[in-house]
Amino acid sequence: MPTEPREQTPDAHAAGGEVLYSESFRIAGNDFEHGGEAAAAIKAILKQLGFPTDAIRRLSIANFEAEMNVIMYADEARMELAVLPDAVRVTVADRGKGIPDIDWAMKEGNSTATPEMRARGFGAGLGLPNIKRNSDEFSISSTVGVGTTLTYVVYANGNAEGAAR
Amino acid sequence: MIERPHAVVTDPDKCVGCVACSQACPTRAIRVKNDLAVIDDELCIDCGTCIEACRYDAIRPRTSSPADLKRFKYTVAVPSLTLYAQFGDDMHPGRILHGLRQLGFDETYDISWMCEMVAGATDAYLSESKGPWPKISVTCPAVARLIQIRYPDLIPNLVPIETPRELAARLRRRRLAAERGLDPAEIGMFFITPCTAIIHSIEAPEGLEASYLDGAFSITEVYGQLLKAIKNSPGVDSTETISPRGLRWAMAGGEISSMRNANTITVRGLRDVLYVFDRIESGVFQGLDFIEAYICPGGCVGGQLTVAGRYLAQRNIRQITKHLGDQGAVNEEKVRSLLREHFFDIESEIRARQVRPLARNLRQAIELKREKDALVEKLPHKDCAACGAPDCETLADDIVRGNAKLADCVFMRLEELEKQSTPRQGGDNA
Repeated sequence: MPTEPREQTPDAHAAGGEVLYSESFRIAGNDFEHGGEAAAAIKAILKQLGFPTDAIRRLSIANFEAEMNVIMYADEARMELAVLPDAVRVTVADRGKGIPDIDWAMKEGNSTATPEMRARGFGAGLGLPNIKRNSDEFSISSTVGVGTTLTYVVYANGNAEGAAR
Repeated sequence: MIERPHAVVTDPDKCVGCVACSQACPTRAIRVKNDLAVIDDELCIDCGTCIEACRYDAIRPRTSSPADLKRFKYTVAVPSLTLYAQFGDDMHPGRILHGLRQLGFDETYDISWMCEMVAGATDAYLSESKGPWPKISVTCPAVARLIQIRYPDLIPNLVPIETPRELAARLRRRRLAAERGLDPAEIGMFFITPCTAIIHSIEAPEGLEASYLDGAFSITEVYGQLLKAIKNSPGVDSTETISPRGLRWAMAGGEISSMRNANTITVRGLRDVLYVFDRIESGVFQGLDFIEAYICPGGCVGGQLTVAGRYLAQRNIRQITKHLGDQGAVNEEKVRSLLREHFFDIESEIRARQVRPLARNLRQAIELKREKDALVEKLPHKDCAACGAPDCETLADDIVRGNAKLADCVFMRLEELEKQSTPRQGGDNA
């Protein structure tokens, strides 16, 4: 049963501004074979563009978590990369079952992963909190039965640890 | 020979301009221009893959010369464990060390016991470390360089423990200076190396201000003389310090074999190293504690500058350790106390070596990235390397950086010629 969209949005929007470069990647649910490829492709792009190593590292951790979340829980998603003058914004919008209780899912250790997923080393309940921790801005909205949309921003010269908490 | 700050040099007289080295290079550091392979200093990790790929003997290691020995009052040969693996027939390491001394060194210094010490120190470090996991060994300098250039995210995973060869050289140099009343600078310590990566690590070390070694001779270049010396002067030097456990470091798997921690893996060969590091970077393998990785398949016994080859060398090491017994030579409590005293610590931080982006300015870089993507689209996707770059994407990269032109591509040139020679058919679109 669909519920109202729920949001956790930070106030800060320091990373607004013109999109200088964008690219979109499709992620298919359950496609473990190609898991991590979108995150790797984005990393390669940002290296060529000369983004600072630390910003690339933090964004890559977030991207990989987000990508694996889609593969494990959703039907499919688009991962949209937007390069801004001083930051990188990624939006992951999936079609899937949605998250009924976002506050619960944002707590470390909470996970609905199956034993199979845990056997692959996932499902420690660190995914969403880890994305938030490594980004400078983070927002999530979800509609049960429709899907979840994540947006996170990493500043070129930010230092994260949940700067937008 | 073309001089460069690396251990791998090309010989213009021998290079025929084929593209084997360019295609083999893991960091895409080689371009073939005007029938000569040119190596990019910024990208080269001195792994020696190109030396193996070259059929014309046109890429050589830059080793020390016998004249270098004359610069010192007292000289020490520090053989890689791989040297012991070159002979077979149960050749005792004491005979090899004795022979090596006859080649003009004042003494030889074995490092197998230090390998066992470092294995113990790594164990202790792992039990106290808080991550990030898995930790990665710095024993193979080409692996460390690869991480600096291609996987900077993994720098915090490197174990901050100095290599056995450097620790041993430092220790021996200090003791010798004290014992013989020499200035440490008057002592010349030369590594007998199985690979180019170690030569470069002596010239331009990471994790150290300056190497404690003064140069290196390759196993291939000393082998012939050494064999003669062993025959002509059949003495046996003391092998009290030789640790059979430490000797296993010559082979991939040797480093972890004497560790207590079993949540470890060995990664062998360039291709597997890239495979595993790509995955560690993506967050896979976090459940492991330690990875020993070697660019050469089989580990150090598989180095380019060896004679026996990795298969026979493995057999030889196994025979020697069987002969000597498998006992350890090292006191565990001593290792722990040395670790607390920071004896094993690397001396300086290992830093990322950022490979140049397309442009310093973001907008310019994006402009060039778009141009590059369009070129990649246009190029034939054959990755034939006839242009001198190893593949089409690298050519596109070179073009937007102004280092190559589209006409370097034979397919593009052919297309252009066909356009010019085909008379125009009177079509509407003409």
